[in-house]
Amino acid sequence: MTETWALAALWLGLALLATLLSIWLRVATALSEIVVGTIAQLVIGALVGGAMLGTGESWVRFLSGTGAIVLTFLAGAELDPAVFRTKWKEAAAVGLASFAVPFLVCAAVARFVLHWSVPSSWLAGVALSTTSVAVVYAVMLEFGFNATEYGKTLLAACFITDLGTVLALGIIFAPFTTKTLVFAGAGVLVFAVLPWLTPRFFRRYGNRPSELEAKYLLLCLFGMGALATWAESEAVLPAYLIGMVLAGTVGKDHHLIRRLRTLTFGLLTPFYFIRAGSFVSVPALIAAPMTFLVLLVAKVTAKFAGVYPATKLYKSPPTEAMYTTLLMSTGLTFGSISALFGLSHGIIDQAQYSYLVAAVIASAVLPTLVANAFFLPRHLLGASGERRAASYTSQQETPGRVGETVKGESQ
Amino acid sequence: MNKKLLIAYDGSGPSEKAFAVALDLAVKCRAELLVLAVARPPEPADDVETEAILESAREHYEGLFAPLRELAAAAGISAVFKVVVGHPADQIVRHAEEFGADQIIVGHRGKTLFQKWLVGSVAKRVLSYATCTVTVVR
Repeated sequence: MTETWALAALWLGLALLATLLSIWLRVATALSEIVVGTIAQLVIGALVGGAMLGTGESWVRFLSGTGAIVLTFLAGAELDPAVFRTKWKEAAAVGLASFAVPFLVCAAVARFVLHWSVPSSWLAGVALSTTSVAVVYAVMLEFGFNATEYGKTLLAACFITDLGTVLALGIIFAPFTTKTLVFAGAGVLVFAVLPWLTPRFFRRYGNRPSELEAKYLLLCLFGMGALATWAESEAVLPAYLIGMVLAGTVGKDHHLIRRLRTLTFGLLTPFYFIRAGSFVSVPALIAAPMTFLVLLVAKVTAKFAGVYPATKLYKSPPTEAMYTTLLMSTGLTFGSISALFGLSHGIIDQAQYSYLVAAVIASAVLPTLVANAFFLPRHLLGASGERRAASYTSQQETPGRVGETVKGESQ
Repeated sequence: MNKKLLIAYDGSGPSEKAFAVALDLAVKCRAELLVLAVARPPEPADDVETEAILESAREHYEGLFAPLRELAAAAGISAVFKVVVGHPADQIVRHAEEFGADQIIVGHRGKTLFQKWLVGSVAKRVLSYATCTVTVVR
């Protein structure tokens, strides 16, 4: 066991370093962990040998995979089901456009400009079609739009975009067999039963130090994950859907969500993101930077083409629509999950993986850097003061997601 | 014309000084105080982590506000404490306008070059965009 503990200590040391960097530099921990993983592999690989990090060890792969599954579940559980029920048509229209246009454009660019194989091109389309719910959520809070119809619709749309990504990941690369039908049938049954069963089960047996809730949820996630991989699909697909169907029950239990976050951020996701970063080949990026740039430009342009008309369709003022469109950037979570899925299933090679992850990171970071370089207070961009004031008042009166509570007066 | 003062508060030493200066001024001018703390999402905001950070920031600032509330109450000053989300300079300028602040009081903090590049100097940006008097406390 000495080797296992030593390797675990090395990974947790890297995770701690990444967390410190994220605190010092005020960047997302996921971004910091990916970069630390890349540099660690580069440095350790050069000094000691590439196998030192043990990325192929079964327990590292298990923790990493569990990190992706639980993180995806938590992302799905952030959905607001009440808003989704009332706004599903608008959300579906914007969300599908936001997914489909970048997906098709990026896949076409990978196929016809970069001459990637057909499966690799589809994978590039999936990895670059994602939208960060968190970025849009943060922007909505800053503008004070999270309580407006526009803001709620757009946030719900982001979940549709991510749902498109996980569905594409789970369906495009899976062979359609009887196993697929069994998985789909079991999925429909589980997704229908869980929202009814889970709150009743938790009320009867939950809230004890034995953490029954965490075991129950992990059982559901691992069980459906096993069924998905048995059907040659992807385990994050049922995880995201379970998160969405339990958003109205488990997602509202802040104490439970916080305990799951502790498990996820404290142990699981560092293994996932550091491992994802360790597969990035810096030499490949240096050798062909144009490939990365082509993917980045394709992603940003396609996202703009897909989202801007949709926001205009719902009568968003031009400046807000433009700003929202620019910030509907690629999410690190779903972008990196898609790319790593491709690498681990042999759909893309390490160089292609490196270009995709670099494009995912760049499309997430660039809007922030540009916005800060040409800083102008966002409320001066031309938003309607009246609407802003109305949304501000309603936020103070409406409890709910964290941002809305944060906005409230604390006196 | 110092009837409404906004204090940008982040729990740092300079912001503690800014609060002390503002409280002193408020007592002299019988002014209202708005103490504003800004929870900044990580860059880039990432799924799940962003909400966790905002929750944690709210609890953190609520804890820091408790002794400040007592100081304001002891001085007989009407004070509102808020935690908002976004870019610090942006939110300070915006809330100063909405509050109708006559003066913004901010602490000055040193930042690394990278932080300045990523976040910018809050005090400098507030000075650039505010439509009222700005005092930077060192």
